[in-house]
Parts: sequence; C-alpha cells; structure tokens
Amino acid sequence: MSVTPLDGHWASESLGEGHVVFNAEGIHCGNCARSIRKAVGDLDGVRRVEVNVVNNRVSVDWDTSKLSLGRILGQVSALGFKPVPLVGEAAARAQQTERRLALKRIGLAALGSMQLMMYTVALYAGALQGIDDRIAEYLRWTCFVITTPVLFYSGAPILRGALADLRRRVLGMDVTVSLALLLAYFASSWNTLRDAGEVYFDSVAMFILLLLIGRFVEMRGRHQAAQVSDALAKALPATAQRIRREDGVAERVPLAALQLGDLLRVNTGQVIPVDGILESDGALIDESLLSGESLPQRHVKADAIAGGAVNAGSALTLRVSRLPGESTLHELVRLLERAQSERPRLGVAAERMASWFVVRILLVTVVVGAIWQLIDPARAFPAMLAVLVATCPCALSLATPAAIAAASSRLARLGVLVMRADAVEGLATVDTVMLDKTGTLTVGSPRITRIDTSDGWNATEALCTAAALEAGSQHPLALAFREHQHAAWRCDDAREIAGQGIEGTVNGQRWRIGQPGITLTGDCGRSASFTVDDPLREDARAATAALTALGLRLVLLSGDRHEAVQGVADTLGISTAHAGLRPADKLQHLRDAQAAGHRVLMLGDGINDGPVLAAANVSMAMGRGSSIAHAAGDLLLLRESLQSLPEAVCVARRTLQIVQQNLRWALIYNLAAVPVAALGFMPPWVAAIGMSASSLLVVMNARRAGYEPAGGSCR
Amino acid sequence: MMASMMLLIPLSLLMLGAAVWAFFWAVDRGQFDDLEQPSRLALEEDPTPSGDATKDPRPHS
Repeated sequence: MSVTPLDGHWASESLGEGHVVFNAEGIHCGNCARSIRKAVGDLDGVRRVEVNVVNNRVSVDWDTSKLSLGRILGQVSALGFKPVPLVGEAAARAQQTERRLALKRIGLAALGSMQLMMYTVALYAGALQGIDDRIAEYLRWTCFVITTPVLFYSGAPILRGALADLRRRVLGMDVTVSLALLLAYFASSWNTLRDAGEVYFDSVAMFILLLLIGRFVEMRGRHQAAQVSDALAKALPATAQRIRREDGVAERVPLAALQLGDLLRVNTGQVIPVDGILESDGALIDESLLSGESLPQRHVKADAIAGGAVNAGSALTLRVSRLPGESTLHELVRLLERAQSERPRLGVAAERMASWFVVRILLVTVVVGAIWQLIDPARAFPAMLAVLVATCPCALSLATPAAIAAASSRLARLGVLVMRADAVEGLATVDTVMLDKTGTLTVGSPRITRIDTSDGWNATEALCTAAALEAGSQHPLALAFREHQHAAWRCDDAREIAGQGIEGTVNGQRWRIGQPGITLTGDCGRSASFTVDDPLREDARAATAALTALGLRLVLLSGDRHEAVQGVADTLGISTAHAGLRPADKLQHLRDAQAAGHRVLMLGDGINDGPVLAAANVSMAMGRGSSIAHAAGDLLLLRESLQSLPEAVCVARRTLQIVQQNLRWALIYNLAAVPVAALGFMPPWVAAIGMSASSLLVVMNARRAGYEPAGGSCR
Repeated sequence: MMASMMLLIPLSLLMLGAAVWAFFWAVDRGQFDDLEQPSRLALEEDPTPSGDATKDPRPHS
C-alpha cells in the first residue's frame, strides 16, 4: 500500500515539533488502535500518539529533527491501514468511497441472504416432508454458489480485520467472528461435497449482513462527527485578492503566497481568507461560523477580524496579521482534531474489557466443544458455533465511543466545542459551577447604559459629539463610545489634557469631555453626563436559574470590587460570591471546593483564567472573535450566550446515562447468551441475530445522545 | 419436478445477479450518497441567474 503524497495541509510544525492528524482507514477495534499506538510510539522521536477508534483518527506529535512524517505514515501503512488526509476534498472523497463500498457490501449480503433463506426453507421443509436427494443436493450447491461471494466480498473487512489482528498476535473481536464464519462456511461446504449433514450457509450470510449494518450505522456517526471540523476547515477560500503595492490593483493570489502586512480586498459576501486588521473605516462582519452569533457584527478600523468570517457589508480592505496556516480557524480546527483523536477514559476501560472477553470466549468454546463431543458428537459443532457467534463483544467496544461522538456533534450545534474527549463525562458529573464575572456573566466591554442631558438636549447628538472627541483616545472607557462614531461628527483637533479629559472642536463648537465621571460640556452651555457600565449578558439570569434547577451549586469568583460583585450575585440569585480575588485566590477557592469532594466546572473567559481553568475538573472557556483559538478549556463556548450552558450539561448527563445503559446491556447480554448457547438451545442463526441485534441496539442507542430528548428537559 | 427446478433455480440466480448489478450501478452513480438533501431541493430558491455564487458561499444546511 502506498502513502499518499504529502502536502501542506497534513501537518504543522513549530520549534522542531511536528503535529499531524490523519484518518487511518481500516481501524475497527481497540486492538487495531493499540497496535498503531505501539508501532508508531516505538519509532525514535515520536512524543505522543493517539488513536481514536470511532472516527479512525490518528494524531501524532514528533521531533522533526529525528523523524520524517513519511516514516510515520509508512509505519501505519505497513500495518495494513491506509493513511488519508483529513482536511478538505480528499477526506470527503475518502468518506464517499468508504460509504459506497459499505453500501455495496450490505447490498450483496442482503440480496444473498434473502435468496438463501428461500432455498433453506425448502431444505428444512424437505427434511420434514421428504425430499428427492438429488433436489436437496442441487439446492445445497446453489446455496454454496451464493454464499461464496457474500463471504469473500461482503465479509472481506471482517476477515481482513481478523488477519491483521493475528499478524499482530492480538485477539480482537474480528477473530472470533471470522473463526465462526469460516468454520460454518467450510463445514457446510464439506457437507455439501460429501452430500451429508447440516449446512449453515444462510447463517453465514445473515451474520455478515447484520454485522455490516451495525458497522454502517457506526460509520455514519463517525462521518457526522468529522463534519464539524471539516466544515470549519473548508470554509476558507483557496485564493485571496491582494492589492499590489505599486499601483493599488487587486490581483488574485493563492493563500500560500500571502505575507504579513499584505493588503487584501474582500468583496461583499466573500469569506475573509486570513486573520487581519481592518483598514477600512467600518465593516459589517458575519461571524456565525466562528461564534454561532447569527447577527452580523459591526467593526471599526483597526479591529482584528478572524479569517472564516463573511463580509456582510460593502467591500473592505484588510491587512494580513497572521499567515494562513496560523489563522484562528486553522488553530481551532487543529485543536478540535486533536480532541477528536483522543480516546475518552471510559472508552479505554471498555476496550480492555472486550479484549479480556475474547480470550475467555475462545476458551469456553473449546470446553463446550469437548463436552458435547462426549455427550453427542453431532451437536458439538452447532453448539461451538453458537457460543462463538453469540458472545462476540462487539457491543461492548462500541458502547462508549459511539455515544461520545454523537454527543460531540450535538454540542457543536449548541455552539459548544468539545476540545478534550473526557470533557463530556466530566460535564455530566460536576456538582459545582464556578463562574467568572467580567466577560463571562457580563458582556466584558464597557457599554453606555445611561445618558443624562441638560435642558432637553438630544441624547443622540450628545453621544455622537462625545464619540467624535473620544475617537482617538486609548482610554479603556473610550471603547464604550466606539460603536457610536458617526461620519458627520468629526473632531480633528482633539487634545488630551492629562488627568482632566479631552478637548476639541466638533461642528464648529468647543467641547470638553472628562471629570467628574464622564461629563461632556460645551462652550455653548449644553452638557451631558454618561454612565458607563459592563452590563450583564441578556440571558445570564435565565442561564443561572436553569443551572440551579439542574441541581448545580453556583459560585461567583471575581477580581472586581465587592459591591459590583455582590450586585451581580444578587441580581442572578447566586448565594456564594467572592470578590477582590487574585488568580491565585481563585485557584485556592477551587482547590478548597475540590478538597471538600465537589466536582467543579469552571467557566471563564479562557485567557485570564488559564490556571484556574486548568485546575478545574472540567473547564469551559468563552470564545470571542479572533481570540477563540487561544482560549484554554476542555470545552469552548463559541456563542456569546450563556443559554447553551445548561443545555450542554443536559446533553452530557444524558450521554453518560446512555453510555452506562449500553455497557450494562452489552455485559448482561453476553453473560446471558453464553450458557444458553453452550447448552445447545441456540441454533447458529439465532445466535447471529442475537449478537448483531445487540450491537445494533447499542449503536442506535448511542446515536440518541445526538438528538434532543422527546420531553425537551432533563434533571 | 426436477426439470422445472433445473430451469427455475438458475433463473433465480440470474435475477439475483441482475439485482446485485443494478444496485452496484446505482451506488456507483451516487444515488445513495445523499439521502436527505434531494427531498428538500424542490423547496429551495433557485440560484440567482447572474451566477453570483459569492452571495452565500456556505451550503444550506
């Protein structure tokens, strides 16, 4: 198998450390994953290797001075897996091919099984009522002719999986399944040849069909989970319009040719290709892809604009501030992919259990065969076959990863990105939520909340005048006036007077803005005073109420003044609030709560709260605009809305419930099926239906985590 | 009895082969690639005649 040629999309490299995420086609089970982890991990220079069974992703960090990417991919192909790139076209094409092949295999197995069932009914009926020997022989041969392509074409992935397992000297579930299939097929063929005894051709075809359906459902979930990050990656255009320095003419160049400081032109409705600084005076930007915010946002000159957003206003110019490969979107996609390639703790446990199971099953099968040989040799073979088929631990190894994948794509629709695989489990089990105030419960930037004007002066005019004066100011409070700037009100001679404010001429009149508070006074005698505040988010009240209703204890941690914090706590009905905290104090509060046995979700703005977020059991960072990629958190809240938080907790709790249901079911089924099959009460075809139905049930149940519950609420 | 079986069973095998061939053909033509969008296609706006694909570069979802 050859390695696909590399291009820039595959890997990223910084300071001698390379990072790559790719799909490896052919991973079916925990053992495949384990062997890749081992083979790649043994290479000299590899620092970290993660393999995810559900979405077939392999993620590797390595030392670029010791090892080339080609060696790593070569190692993976040598094991019999096919590495394919994730991003863009190739990944989509790989998905399409995989899906089509799976459909063909299912189609052949389904049509074959139906046909076989008809002939088998004739054979059974013949056995009871008497049948011409020549006709029975004829029917058996026909069954053989149909079963052969079903086994070797439709069943190929299963047989190949088993072969790969054996080559690596591990026992996966494909081994037991293939053993059962081949035993049944060759025994039936032998019986057909010598024209005596039972044939199990119908069981073989049906077992393959049911297994393939289970895998198909699981594959669809996997493709869906990959769609979130693929959608992000595909959002960037391949070219950009660069404005030539010499003559100001816009020319179309590939993204890779862009350099820092280049001026770009982005027409109406086009996607902004890279992160940049706005050079036009104003712009209307639709950031829905990045933040989930549905309304276009107004930006002013010198604002940072994230690549991937759409220009919803008139054509704009932009100065490149980050190279395409380092843009916010790419950073985000890379983080997401890393998360998707991680295996959750829960999944690791289930995998280990499944592999333990396989060994026991093989032992039990041999014992059952031996005992039946003593009692009734004729029934030894069907009993062994039934044990092998009925107890395959497929359901066990699918239970967790399928549910987590479904939950991740549901959370992404809520605007919550899962950045670490364990986050879903963590979110489901927290009992305390610690919240930061500024930028989390509040909007995070000063807004003008009140305007008082003297003798009935128009408030809008006062605002525009003040905005014109403040336009050039770097003062934090000046930000509040930014969004009110207007072209008709300009001030060209604004002068900052230290400690007092700003003075300047607007529309022919002298104005002064500054102390006390923020007061605007003019030579004409008019005056206005502005109240600037950091207001609560509109949905903060509803969100905190919903969280309390979920049984979570809320704690407000803030570095702000006591009165301000207490005010917010009272408005939101949060009983515990701590004010005036430094980051170290916040950390201490968190540790104290954890020491008292609480499991804590920390919600912060992700940048200032780094250490506290890292120490929490689960952390959620509020992403905003171009800073989302730098936010550190297990979960990333893309929307400027807290309403998704209680919903995310609901989704996580439901997912954990479903995972536990699945594990319980898989275990009970497998334990219950063994004695029934061993005692010979279960013909092989019943075993095939039972086992496949069990794993199908588990996968379908897992998909439930991706849908809204019928009742629409949760405890 | 045997004579009719001799004819009918190969016939059924032929029909099975034809069905499998037809299914494979349909899969290869992309008939099963997207089972959700086409049903809604008739309800969506036609693309603007000017061919202005830049208006909304993202697919409808």
